[in-house]
Amino acid sequence: MTTFSIGALQVDRSGIPVIRGVDLEAKGGEISVLLGSNGAGKTTFLESLSGIIPVRSGFINLDGVELAKLRPGARAKTGLSHVEQGRTVFPAMTTEENLKVALHPDADLKEAYDLFPELLQRRNVEAGMLSGGEQQMVVIARSIVNRPRVILIDEMSSGLAPVIVSRLMRAVRQLADDGIAVVLVEQFAALALAIGNRAYVLRRGQIVYDGDCAALARDPAHLHRLYLGDAAA
Amino acid sequence: MDSLFTAAVAGLSAGGAYAILGVCAIFTYRLVAVVNFTGAAIGAAGTFAMVALFELGMPLLLAVLFGVAAGALAGLAIGLVMTTWFAGSNASTKAAVTAALLVGIIAVGLRLTGGQHPHYFPEIIPGSAFRLAGVEVTWAAVTTLVLSVAFTLLTEQFLARTRTGLQLRALSQRPMAAELIGIRVRLLALGVWAVTGGVTAFALMIIAPLRSPDFASLSLLVVPALAAALIGAFSSFRAALIGGVMIGLLEGSVSAIGPVSQYRGAVPFLVILAVLLWSQRGARWDEAR
Ligand SMILES: Nc1ncnc2c1ncn2[C@@H]1O[C@H](COP(=O)(O)OP(=O)(O)OP(=O)(O)O)[C@@H](O)[C@H]1O
Ligand SMILES: [Mg+2]
Repeated sequence: MTTFSIGALQVDRSGIPVIRGVDLEAKGGEISVLLGSNGAGKTTFLESLSGIIPVRSGFINLDGVELAKLRPGARAKTGLSHVEQGRTVFPAMTTEENLKVALHPDADLKEAYDLFPELLQRRNVEAGMLSGGEQQMVVIARSIVNRPRVILIDEMSSGLAPVIVSRLMRAVRQLADDGIAVVLVEQFAALALAIGNRAYVLRRGQIVYDGDCAALARDPAHLHRLYLGDAAA
Repeated sequence: MDSLFTAAVAGLSAGGAYAILGVCAIFTYRLVAVVNFTGAAIGAAGTFAMVALFELGMPLLLAVLFGVAAGALAGLAIGLVMTTWFAGSNASTKAAVTAALLVGIIAVGLRLTGGQHPHYFPEIIPGSAFRLAGVEVTWAAVTTLVLSVAFTLLTEQFLARTRTGLQLRALSQRPMAAELIGIRVRLLALGVWAVTGGVTAFALMIIAPLRSPDFASLSLLVVPALAAALIGAFSSFRAALIGGVMIGLLEGSVSAIGPVSQYRGAVPFLVILAVLLWSQRGARWDEAR
Protein backbone atom coordinates (compact mmCIF):
# COMPACT_ATOMS: atom_id res chain seq x y z
CA MET A 1 0.00 0.00 0.00
CA THR A 2 1.35 3.39 -1.08
CA THR A 3 2.23 5.95 1.55
CA PHE A 4 3.05 9.49 0.50
CA SER A 5 4.14 11.56 3.47
CA ILE A 6 5.21 15.14 3.71
CA GLY A 7 6.73 16.60 6.83
CA ALA A 8 7.69 20.07 8.09
CA LEU A 9 7.58 21.38 4.54
CA GLN A 10 8.60 24.98 3.98
CA VAL A 11 8.45 26.68 0.57
CA ASP A 12 9.30 30.26 -0.34
CA ARG A 13 8.10 32.29 -3.29
CA SER A 14 10.22 35.28 -4.28
CA GLY A 15 11.86 35.01 -0.84
CA ILE A 16 8.57 35.14 1.03
CA PRO A 17 7.53 32.04 3.04
CA VAL A 18 4.32 30.70 1.48
CA ILE A 19 4.22 27.14 2.86
CA ARG A 20 5.13 27.27 6.54
CA GLY A 21 5.67 23.85 8.02
CA VAL A 22 3.08 21.56 6.47
CA ASP A 23 2.62 17.89 7.41
CA LEU A 24 0.39 15.73 5.25
CA GLU A 25 -0.06 12.04 4.61
CA ALA A 26 -1.84 10.51 1.63
CA LYS A 27 -2.51 6.79 1.44
CA GLY A 28 -3.10 4.54 -1.54
CA GLY A 29 -6.81 3.92 -2.04
CA GLU A 30 -7.75 7.23 -0.41
CA ILE A 31 -8.55 10.72 -1.60
CA SER A 32 -6.93 13.39 0.54
CA VAL A 33 -8.84 16.62 -0.04
CA LEU A 34 -6.89 19.85 0.39
CA LEU A 35 -9.05 22.94 0.83
CA GLY A 36 -8.28 26.59 1.46
CA SER A 37 -9.21 30.07 0.31
CA ASN A 38 -7.59 31.86 -2.64
CA GLY A 39 -3.93 32.50 -2.02
CA ALA A 40 -3.69 30.02 0.86
CA GLY A 41 -0.82 28.28 -0.92
CA LYS A 42 -2.47 25.16 -2.36
CA THR A 43 -0.91 25.43 -5.83
CA THR A 44 2.47 26.38 -4.36
CA PHE A 45 2.27 23.28 -2.17
CA LEU A 46 1.52 20.92 -5.06
CA GLU A 47 4.17 22.53 -7.26
CA SER A 48 6.80 22.01 -4.58
CA LEU A 49 5.79 18.36 -4.28
CA SER A 50 6.19 17.70 -8.02
CA GLY A 51 9.40 19.74 -8.21
CA ILE A 52 8.24 22.70 -10.29
CA ILE A 53 9.46 24.97 -7.49
CA PRO A 54 12.15 24.08 -4.93
CA VAL A 55 11.46 23.44 -1.25
CA ARG A 56 13.36 25.27 1.47
CA SER A 57 13.22 22.48 4.03
CA GLY A 58 11.27 19.43 5.06
CA PHE A 59 10.75 16.02 3.50
CA ILE A 60 8.65 14.54 0.70
CA ASN A 61 8.65 10.79 1.00
CA LEU A 62 7.05 8.29 -1.39
CA ASP A 63 7.19 4.71 -0.08
CA GLY A 64 10.58 5.32 1.48
CA VAL A 65 12.08 7.30 -1.43
CA GLU A 66 13.01 10.88 -0.62
CA LEU A 67 11.88 13.17 -3.45
CA ALA A 68 12.64 16.68 -2.21
CA LYS A 69 16.01 16.93 -3.94
CA LEU A 70 15.03 15.23 -7.22
CA ARG A 71 14.25 16.88 -10.56
CA PRO A 72 10.56 16.84 -11.65
CA GLY A 73 11.25 14.11 -14.23
CA ALA A 74 12.85 11.85 -11.63
CA ARG A 75 9.92 12.38 -9.25
CA ALA A 76 7.56 11.39 -12.08
CA LYS A 77 9.57 8.22 -12.70
CA THR A 78 9.30 7.38 -8.98
CA GLY A 79 5.52 7.39 -9.36
CA LEU A 80 4.35 10.93 -8.65
CA SER A 81 2.04 12.63 -11.11
CA HIS A 82 0.83 16.23 -11.08
CA VAL A 83 -2.30 17.34 -12.93
CA GLU A 84 -1.60 21.05 -13.03
CA GLN A 85 -4.06 23.87 -12.69
CA GLY A 86 -5.28 25.11 -16.09
CA ARG A 87 -5.65 21.94 -18.21
CA THR A 88 -2.15 21.68 -19.56
CA VAL A 89 -2.79 19.60 -22.68
CA PHE A 90 -0.26 19.60 -25.51
CA PRO A 91 -2.56 21.70 -27.69
CA ALA A 92 -1.20 20.92 -31.17
CA MET A 93 -1.17 17.17 -30.56
CA THR A 94 -4.24 14.93 -30.89
CA THR A 95 -5.95 13.39 -27.87
CA GLU A 96 -4.32 10.07 -28.63
CA GLU A 97 -0.88 11.64 -29.08
CA ASN A 98 -1.29 13.38 -25.73
CA LEU A 99 -1.85 9.97 -24.16
CA LYS A 100 0.80 8.13 -26.15
CA VAL A 101 3.55 10.52 -25.23
CA ALA A 102 3.01 9.72 -21.55
CA LEU A 103 2.43 5.98 -21.99
CA HIS A 104 4.34 3.87 -19.47
CA PRO A 105 5.80 0.68 -20.99
CA ASP A 106 3.49 -1.47 -18.84
CA ALA A 107 0.40 0.65 -19.43
CA ASP A 108 -2.17 0.54 -22.22
CA LEU A 109 -4.16 3.32 -23.90
CA LYS A 110 -7.23 1.22 -23.13
CA GLU A 111 -6.93 2.18 -19.46
CA ALA A 112 -7.38 5.82 -20.44
CA TYR A 113 -10.38 5.11 -22.67
CA ASP A 114 -11.92 2.86 -20.03
CA LEU A 115 -11.77 5.72 -17.56
CA PHE A 116 -13.14 8.25 -20.08
CA PRO A 117 -14.93 6.44 -22.94
CA GLU A 118 -16.06 9.83 -24.29
CA LEU A 119 -12.45 10.49 -25.37
CA LEU A 120 -12.54 7.59 -27.79
CA GLN A 121 -14.49 9.47 -30.46
CA ARG A 122 -12.24 12.52 -29.96
CA ARG A 123 -9.00 10.57 -30.27
CA ASN A 124 -7.88 12.20 -33.52
CA VAL A 125 -8.88 15.75 -32.59
CA GLU A 126 -6.16 18.21 -31.60
CA ALA A 127 -6.33 18.71 -27.85
CA GLY A 128 -6.38 22.48 -28.27
CA MET A 129 -9.73 22.14 -30.05
CA LEU A 130 -11.42 20.10 -27.30
CA SER A 131 -13.92 21.48 -24.79
CA GLY A 132 -12.73 22.38 -21.31
CA GLY A 133 -14.19 19.22 -19.81
CA GLU A 134 -12.62 17.04 -22.48
CA GLN A 135 -9.25 18.73 -21.98
CA GLN A 136 -9.48 18.02 -18.26
CA MET A 137 -10.21 14.37 -19.06
CA VAL A 138 -7.19 14.27 -21.37
CA VAL A 139 -4.79 15.55 -18.71
CA ILE A 140 -6.15 13.17 -16.08
CA ALA A 141 -6.00 10.24 -18.52
CA ARG A 142 -2.50 11.29 -19.59
CA SER A 143 -1.47 11.18 -15.97
CA ILE A 144 -2.98 7.71 -15.47
CA VAL A 145 -1.15 6.05 -18.38
CA ASN A 146 2.06 7.35 -16.79
CA ARG A 147 1.34 4.71 -14.08
CA PRO A 148 1.59 6.88 -10.94
CA ARG A 149 1.23 5.74 -7.35
CA VAL A 150 0.37 9.26 -6.26
CA ILE A 151 -1.61 11.79 -8.26
CA LEU A 152 -1.88 15.47 -7.34
CA ILE A 153 -4.87 17.23 -8.91
CA ASP A 154 -5.16 21.03 -8.83
CA GLU A 155 -8.55 22.72 -9.39
CA MET A 156 -9.79 20.31 -12.04
CA SER A 157 -13.33 21.68 -11.92
CA SER A 158 -12.68 25.39 -12.39
CA GLY A 159 -14.87 26.83 -15.12
CA LEU A 160 -16.68 23.57 -15.88
CA ALA A 161 -20.41 22.78 -15.87
CA PRO A 162 -21.75 20.92 -12.79
CA VAL A 163 -22.53 17.72 -14.71
CA ILE A 164 -18.97 17.58 -15.99
CA VAL A 165 -17.62 18.24 -12.51
CA SER A 166 -19.51 15.33 -10.98
CA ARG A 167 -18.42 13.15 -13.91
CA LEU A 168 -14.78 14.03 -13.13
CA MET A 169 -15.31 13.50 -9.41
CA ARG A 170 -16.59 9.97 -10.05
CA ALA A 171 -13.54 9.22 -12.19
CA VAL A 172 -11.22 10.45 -9.46
CA ARG A 173 -12.98 8.25 -6.91
CA GLN A 174 -12.43 5.31 -9.25
CA LEU A 175 -8.71 6.08 -9.41
CA ALA A 176 -8.47 5.97 -5.65
CA ASP A 177 -10.47 2.74 -5.56
CA ASP A 178 -7.89 1.30 -7.96
CA GLY A 179 -5.26 1.92 -5.27
CA ILE A 180 -3.78 5.29 -6.22
CA ALA A 181 -3.16 7.90 -3.51
CA VAL A 182 -5.01 11.03 -4.65
CA VAL A 183 -4.36 14.54 -3.35
CA LEU A 184 -7.27 16.66 -4.54
CA VAL A 185 -7.19 20.47 -4.39
CA GLU A 186 -10.67 21.80 -5.04
CA GLN A 187 -12.81 24.95 -5.01
CA PHE A 188 -16.07 23.02 -4.73
CA ALA A 189 -15.54 21.92 -1.14
CA ALA A 190 -18.86 20.07 -0.77
CA LEU A 191 -18.33 17.92 -3.87
CA ALA A 192 -14.75 17.10 -2.93
CA LEU A 193 -15.63 16.24 0.68
CA ALA A 194 -18.41 13.97 -0.59
CA ILE A 195 -15.95 11.70 -2.41
CA GLY A 196 -12.91 12.22 -0.17
CA ASN A 197 -11.56 10.29 2.82
CA ARG A 198 -9.32 12.64 4.69
CA ALA A 199 -9.48 16.43 4.60
CA TYR A 200 -6.90 19.11 5.18
CA VAL A 201 -7.52 22.84 5.28
CA LEU A 202 -4.66 25.17 4.47
CA ARG A 203 -4.67 28.77 5.64
CA ARG A 204 -1.78 31.17 4.99
CA GLY A 205 0.57 28.29 4.43
CA GLN A 206 -0.34 26.25 7.51
CA ILE A 207 -2.62 23.27 8.09
CA VAL A 208 -5.53 24.34 10.29
CA TYR A 209 -7.63 21.19 9.96
CA ASP A 210 -6.62 17.57 9.56
CA GLY A 211 -9.42 15.07 9.92
CA ASP A 212 -12.34 13.21 8.49
CA CYS A 213 -14.00 14.45 5.28
CA ALA A 214 -17.44 13.37 6.47
CA ALA A 215 -17.20 15.31 9.74
CA LEU A 216 -16.25 18.49 7.89
CA ALA A 217 -18.98 17.95 5.27
CA ARG A 218 -21.61 17.80 8.02
CA ASP A 219 -20.49 21.12 9.51
CA PRO A 220 -20.27 23.83 6.81
CA ALA A 221 -20.10 26.57 9.43
CA HIS A 222 -16.94 25.03 10.85
CA LEU A 223 -15.44 24.85 7.35
CA HIS A 224 -16.30 28.50 6.81
CA ARG A 225 -14.48 29.48 10.02
CA LEU A 226 -11.46 27.39 8.99
CA TYR A 227 -11.27 29.20 5.63
CA LEU A 228 -11.50 32.66 7.10
CA GLY A 229 -9.64 32.15 10.35
CA ASP A 230 -9.88 34.62 13.22
CA ALA A 231 -11.80 37.11 11.09
CA ALA A 232 -14.88 34.88 11.34
CA ALA A 233 -14.46 33.88 14.97
CA MET B 1 18.90 35.85 -70.96
CA ASP B 2 20.92 32.69 -71.45
CA SER B 3 23.60 33.85 -69.08
CA LEU B 4 20.95 34.77 -66.51
CA PHE B 5 19.61 31.22 -66.66
CA THR B 6 23.13 29.84 -66.34
CA ALA B 7 23.74 32.03 -63.32
CA ALA B 8 20.46 31.11 -61.69
CA VAL B 9 21.25 27.43 -62.07
CA ALA B 10 24.66 28.13 -60.58
CA GLY B 11 22.82 29.38 -57.51
CA LEU B 12 21.01 26.07 -57.07
CA SER B 13 23.53 24.31 -54.86
CA ALA B 14 23.77 27.34 -52.58
CA GLY B 15 19.97 27.37 -52.52
CA GLY B 16 19.83 23.74 -51.44
CA ALA B 17 22.29 24.44 -48.67
CA TYR B 18 20.31 27.52 -47.53
CA ALA B 19 17.21 25.35 -47.45
CA ILE B 20 18.92 22.80 -45.18
CA LEU B 21 20.20 25.58 -42.92
CA GLY B 22 16.75 27.18 -42.86
CA VAL B 23 15.08 23.89 -41.91
CA CYS B 24 17.67 23.46 -39.14
CA ALA B 25 16.93 26.98 -37.89
CA ILE B 26 13.21 26.20 -37.68
CA PHE B 27 13.95 22.84 -36.06
CA THR B 28 15.97 24.61 -33.34
CA TYR B 29 13.39 27.34 -32.92
CA ARG B 30 10.39 25.05 -32.73
CA LEU B 31 11.90 22.38 -30.52
CA VAL B 32 14.22 24.23 -28.15
CA ALA B 33 12.75 27.72 -28.60
CA VAL B 34 15.96 29.44 -29.68
CA VAL B 35 16.48 31.70 -32.70
CA ASN B 36 19.97 30.43 -33.26
CA PHE B 37 22.48 32.85 -34.77
CA THR B 38 25.34 30.37 -34.28
CA GLY B 39 23.85 27.76 -36.64
CA ALA B 40 26.19 28.35 -39.57
CA ALA B 41 29.18 28.98 -37.27
CA ILE B 42 28.65 25.55 -35.72
CA GLY B 43 28.61 24.12 -39.23
CA ALA B 44 31.72 26.12 -40.14
CA ALA B 45 33.55 24.57 -37.19
CA GLY B 46 32.73 21.13 -38.56
CA THR B 47 33.70 22.14 -42.09
CA PHE B 48 37.09 23.46 -40.99
CA ALA B 49 37.69 20.33 -38.90
CA MET B 50 37.11 18.36 -42.11
CA VAL B 51 39.51 20.59 -44.08
CA ALA B 52 42.20 20.37 -41.42
CA LEU B 53 42.01 16.58 -41.30
CA PHE B 54 42.04 16.40 -45.10
CA GLU B 55 45.09 18.67 -45.25
CA LEU B 56 46.78 16.30 -42.78
CA GLY B 57 46.28 13.48 -45.26
CA MET B 58 43.13 11.81 -44.05
CA PRO B 59 40.99 10.24 -46.81
CA LEU B 60 38.16 12.55 -47.85
CA LEU B 61 35.26 10.34 -46.78
CA LEU B 62 36.72 9.81 -43.33
CA ALA B 63 37.48 13.52 -42.97
CA VAL B 64 33.87 14.32 -43.87
CA LEU B 65 32.59 11.92 -41.22
CA PHE B 66 34.86 13.44 -38.58
CA GLY B 67 33.81 16.92 -39.74
CA VAL B 68 30.14 16.07 -39.30
CA ALA B 69 30.93 14.69 -35.84
CA ALA B 70 32.84 17.88 -35.02
CA GLY B 71 29.81 19.92 -36.11
CA ALA B 72 27.60 17.80 -33.84
CA LEU B 73 30.01 18.34 -30.94
CA ALA B 74 30.10 22.10 -31.55
CA GLY B 75 26.30 22.12 -31.58
CA LEU B 76 26.27 20.13 -28.37
CA ALA B 77 28.62 22.65 -26.73
CA ILE B 78 26.33 25.57 -27.62
CA GLY B 79 23.37 23.47 -26.46
CA LEU B 80 25.05 22.88 -23.10
CA VAL B 81 25.56 26.62 -22.66
CA MET B 82 21.94 27.36 -23.58
CA THR B 83 20.31 24.61 -21.48
CA THR B 84 22.55 25.17 -18.46
CA TRP B 85 22.31 28.92 -18.10
CA PHE B 86 19.50 30.16 -20.30
CA ALA B 87 16.83 27.46 -20.10
CA GLY B 88 14.46 29.82 -18.28
CA SER B 89 15.23 32.95 -20.29
CA ASN B 90 12.80 34.48 -22.75
CA ALA B 91 13.15 34.18 -26.53
CA SER B 92 14.81 37.55 -27.13
CA THR B 93 17.42 36.98 -24.41
CA LYS B 94 18.28 33.61 -25.91
CA ALA B 95 18.57 35.10 -29.41
CA ALA B 96 20.85 37.85 -28.07
CA VAL B 97 23.01 35.24 -26.33
CA THR B 98 23.49 33.28 -29.54
CA ALA B 99 24.30 36.51 -31.43
CA ALA B 100 26.98 37.27 -28.84
CA LEU B 101 28.26 33.69 -29.06
CA LEU B 102 28.45 34.07 -32.85
CA VAL B 103 30.82 37.01 -32.53
CA GLY B 104 32.99 35.03 -30.10
CA ILE B 105 33.01 31.92 -32.26
CA ILE B 106 33.97 33.90 -35.37
CA ALA B 107 36.86 35.56 -33.50
CA VAL B 108 38.16 32.25 -32.20
CA GLY B 109 37.48 30.49 -35.49
CA LEU B 110 39.35 33.06 -37.57
CA ARG B 111 42.30 32.82 -35.22
CA LEU B 112 42.43 29.01 -35.29
CA THR B 113 42.00 28.79 -39.06
CA GLY B 114 44.57 31.46 -39.88
CA GLY B 115 42.24 34.32 -40.75
CA GLN B 116 41.88 34.93 -44.47
CA HIS B 117 44.71 32.48 -45.18
CA PRO B 118 43.29 30.31 -47.96
CA HIS B 119 42.62 26.66 -47.32
CA TYR B 120 42.06 24.12 -50.01
CA PHE B 121 38.44 23.07 -49.87
CA PRO B 122 38.02 19.71 -51.55
CA GLU B 123 34.88 19.33 -53.65
CA ILE B 124 33.07 16.60 -51.80
CA ILE B 125 30.76 15.95 -54.70
CA PRO B 126 32.60 16.90 -57.93
CA GLY B 127 31.52 16.94 -61.54
CA SER B 128 28.58 17.72 -63.75
CA ALA B 129 25.41 15.67 -63.51
CA PHE B 130 23.58 16.64 -66.71
CA ARG B 131 22.87 19.54 -69.04
CA LEU B 132 19.62 21.40 -68.75
CA ALA B 133 18.78 23.54 -71.80
CA GLY B 134 22.49 23.73 -72.51
CA VAL B 135 23.45 24.60 -68.94
CA GLU B 136 25.66 22.41 -66.77
CA VAL B 137 23.96 21.22 -63.60
CA THR B 138 26.55 20.00 -61.11
CA TRP B 139 26.32 16.99 -58.85
CA ALA B 140 26.79 19.34 -55.93
CA ALA B 141 23.58 21.16 -56.93
CA VAL B 142 21.65 17.94 -57.45
CA THR B 143 22.87 16.52 -54.15
CA THR B 144 22.08 19.59 -52.05
CA LEU B 145 18.63 19.82 -53.62
CA VAL B 146 17.85 16.15 -53.07
CA LEU B 147 19.29 16.32 -49.57
CA SER B 148 17.31 19.42 -48.67
CA VAL B 149 14.03 17.85 -49.86
CA ALA B 150 14.84 14.54 -48.15
CA PHE B 151 15.87 16.28 -44.94
CA THR B 152 12.67 18.35 -44.89
CA LEU B 153 10.40 15.35 -45.45
CA LEU B 154 12.36 13.22 -43.02
CA THR B 155 12.13 15.87 -40.33
CA GLU B 156 8.36 16.10 -40.80
CA GLN B 157 7.90 12.34 -40.69
CA PHE B 158 10.19 11.98 -37.71
CA LEU B 159 8.19 14.52 -35.71
CA ALA B 160 4.86 13.02 -36.77
CA ARG B 161 5.56 9.32 -36.41
CA THR B 162 8.30 8.44 -33.95
CA ARG B 163 8.10 8.35 -30.19
CA THR B 164 11.06 10.71 -29.87
CA GLY B 165 9.36 13.03 -32.36
CA LEU B 166 6.22 12.98 -30.24
CA GLN B 167 8.23 13.78 -27.13
CA LEU B 168 9.97 16.65 -28.93
CA ARG B 169 6.63 18.13 -29.95
CA ALA B 170 5.33 17.82 -26.39
CA LEU B 171 8.50 19.48 -25.13
CA SER B 172 8.10 22.35 -27.57
CA GLN B 173 4.45 22.93 -26.67
CA ARG B 174 4.65 22.74 -22.88
CA PRO B 175 8.12 22.14 -21.47
CA MET B 176 6.96 21.83 -17.86
CA ALA B 177 4.10 19.46 -18.58
CA ALA B 178 6.54 17.39 -20.66
CA GLU B 179 8.98 17.23 -17.77
CA LEU B 180 6.18 16.29 -15.36
CA ILE B 181 5.34 13.16 -17.38
CA GLY B 182 8.97 12.09 -17.20
CA ILE B 183 10.20 13.16 -20.65
CA ARG B 184 13.96 13.70 -20.55
CA VAL B 185 13.79 17.29 -21.69
CA ARG B 186 17.45 18.20 -21.37
CA LEU B 187 18.67 15.11 -23.18
CA LEU B 188 16.24 15.74 -26.03
CA ALA B 189 17.23 19.40 -26.29
CA LEU B 190 20.91 18.48 -26.45
CA GLY B 191 20.05 15.90 -29.11
CA VAL B 192 18.44 18.60 -31.22
CA TRP B 193 21.54 20.79 -30.91
CA ALA B 194 23.88 17.94 -31.87
CA VAL B 195 21.85 16.75 -34.86
CA THR B 196 21.39 20.23 -36.34
CA GLY B 197 25.12 20.85 -35.79
CA GLY B 198 26.09 17.75 -37.75
CA VAL B 199 23.62 18.37 -40.58
CA THR B 200 24.65 22.02 -40.91
CA ALA B 201 28.31 21.03 -41.05
CA PHE B 202 27.61 18.68 -43.95
CA ALA B 203 25.57 21.29 -45.85
CA LEU B 204 28.37 23.83 -45.48
CA MET B 205 31.02 21.35 -46.66
CA ILE B 206 29.19 21.00 -49.96
CA ILE B 207 28.98 24.71 -50.67
CA ALA B 208 32.24 25.84 -49.06
CA PRO B 209 34.26 25.48 -52.32
CA LEU B 210 31.84 27.93 -53.96
CA ARG B 211 32.40 30.63 -51.33
CA SER B 212 35.22 32.80 -50.14
CA PRO B 213 36.28 30.05 -47.82
CA ASP B 214 37.12 31.76 -44.56
CA PHE B 215 35.54 31.07 -41.20
CA ALA B 216 33.70 34.38 -40.98
CA SER B 217 32.04 34.14 -44.41
CA LEU B 218 30.80 30.63 -43.72
CA SER B 219 29.50 31.65 -40.28
CA LEU B 220 27.58 34.53 -41.81
CA LEU B 221 25.62 32.12 -43.97
CA VAL B 222 23.30 32.27 -40.98
CA VAL B 223 21.77 35.29 -42.74
CA PRO B 224 20.31 33.39 -45.72
CA ALA B 225 19.47 30.56 -43.29
CA LEU B 226 17.37 32.85 -41.11
CA ALA B 227 15.88 34.46 -44.23
CA ALA B 228 14.70 31.02 -45.36
CA ALA B 229 13.38 30.25 -41.87
CA LEU B 230 11.57 33.58 -41.89
CA ILE B 231 9.89 32.69 -45.20
CA GLY B 232 8.66 29.59 -43.36
CA ALA B 233 7.46 31.88 -40.54
CA PHE B 234 9.74 29.80 -38.29
CA SER B 235 7.18 27.03 -38.42
CA SER B 236 6.78 25.55 -41.92
CA PHE B 237 9.66 23.33 -42.99
CA ARG B 238 8.39 23.17 -46.57
CA ALA B 239 8.09 26.93 -46.98
CA ALA B 240 11.64 27.28 -45.65
CA LEU B 241 12.80 24.67 -48.13
CA ILE B 242 11.29 26.56 -51.05
CA GLY B 243 12.46 29.89 -49.60
CA GLY B 244 16.05 28.69 -49.28
CA VAL B 245 16.19 27.43 -52.85
CA MET B 246 14.66 30.67 -54.13
CA ILE B 247 17.21 32.78 -52.29
CA GLY B 248 19.95 30.72 -53.92
CA LEU B 249 18.44 31.18 -57.39
CA LEU B 250 17.96 34.90 -56.78
CA GLU B 251 21.56 35.31 -55.64
CA GLY B 252 22.74 33.44 -58.72
CA SER B 253 20.66 35.61 -61.05
CA VAL B 254 21.76 38.85 -59.44
CA SER B 255 25.40 37.89 -59.88
CA ALA B 256 24.82 37.74 -63.65
CA ILE B 257 23.39 41.23 -63.93
CA GLY B 258 26.46 43.41 -64.46
CA PRO B 259 25.65 46.60 -62.58
CA VAL B 260 24.22 44.92 -59.43
CA SER B 261 26.37 41.79 -59.34
CA GLN B 262 28.54 43.30 -56.61
CA TYR B 263 25.54 43.33 -54.30
CA ARG B 264 24.55 39.69 -54.52
CA GLY B 265 25.51 39.26 -50.88
CA ALA B 266 22.74 41.68 -50.00
CA VAL B 267 20.02 39.42 -51.43
CA PRO B 268 19.27 37.60 -48.16
CA PHE B 269 19.03 40.94 -46.32
CA LEU B 270 16.57 42.23 -48.89
CA VAL B 271 14.55 39.03 -48.56
CA ILE B 272 14.46 39.41 -44.76
CA LEU B 273 13.39 43.03 -45.13
CA ALA B 274 10.69 42.13 -47.63
CA VAL B 275 9.31 39.30 -45.48
CA LEU B 276 9.27 41.48 -42.36
CA LEU B 277 7.50 44.32 -44.16
CA TRP B 278 5.03 41.88 -45.67
CA SER B 279 4.31 40.30 -42.28
CA GLN B 280 3.84 43.73 -40.68
CA ARG B 281 1.41 45.02 -43.30
CA GLY B 282 -1.60 44.00 -41.20
CA ALA B 283 -0.29 45.80 -38.15
CA ARG B 284 0.39 48.94 -40.18
CA TRP B 285 -3.02 48.85 -41.68
CA ASP B 286 -4.57 48.49 -38.20
CA GLU B 287 -2.50 51.38 -36.90
CA ALA B 288 -3.49 53.60 -39.81
CA ARG B 289 -7.18 53.15 -39.11
N1 LIG C 1 5.35 33.46 -8.71
C1 LIG C 1 5.07 33.95 -7.50
N2 LIG C 1 5.91 34.83 -6.91
C2 LIG C 1 5.64 35.31 -5.70
N3 LIG C 1 4.56 35.00 -4.99
C3 LIG C 1 3.70 34.14 -5.52
C4 LIG C 1 3.89 33.58 -6.80
N4 LIG C 1 2.86 32.77 -7.05
C5 LIG C 1 2.05 32.82 -5.98
N5 LIG C 1 2.53 33.65 -5.05
C6 LIG C 1 1.93 33.93 -3.76
O1 LIG C 1 1.88 32.74 -3.01
C7 LIG C 1 0.67 32.66 -2.28
C8 LIG C 1 -0.02 31.36 -2.54
O2 LIG C 1 -0.40 31.28 -3.90
P1 LIG C 1 -1.02 29.96 -4.52
O3 LIG C 1 -1.20 30.17 -5.97
O4 LIG C 1 -0.19 28.81 -4.08
O5 LIG C 1 -2.43 29.91 -3.79
P2 LIG C 1 -3.68 28.96 -4.05
O6 LIG C 1 -4.08 28.45 -2.73
O7 LIG C 1 -3.39 27.97 -5.11
O8 LIG C 1 -4.75 29.99 -4.56
P3 LIG C 1 -5.95 29.81 -5.63
O9 LIG C 1 -7.09 29.19 -4.89
O10 LIG C 1 -6.25 31.23 -6.03
O11 LIG C 1 -5.43 28.98 -6.76
C9 LIG C 1 -0.15 33.88 -2.69
O12 LIG C 1 -0.04 34.83 -1.66
C10 LIG C 1 0.50 34.41 -3.92
O13 LIG C 1 0.43 35.80 -3.96
MG1 LIG D 1 -4.15 27.52 -7.00
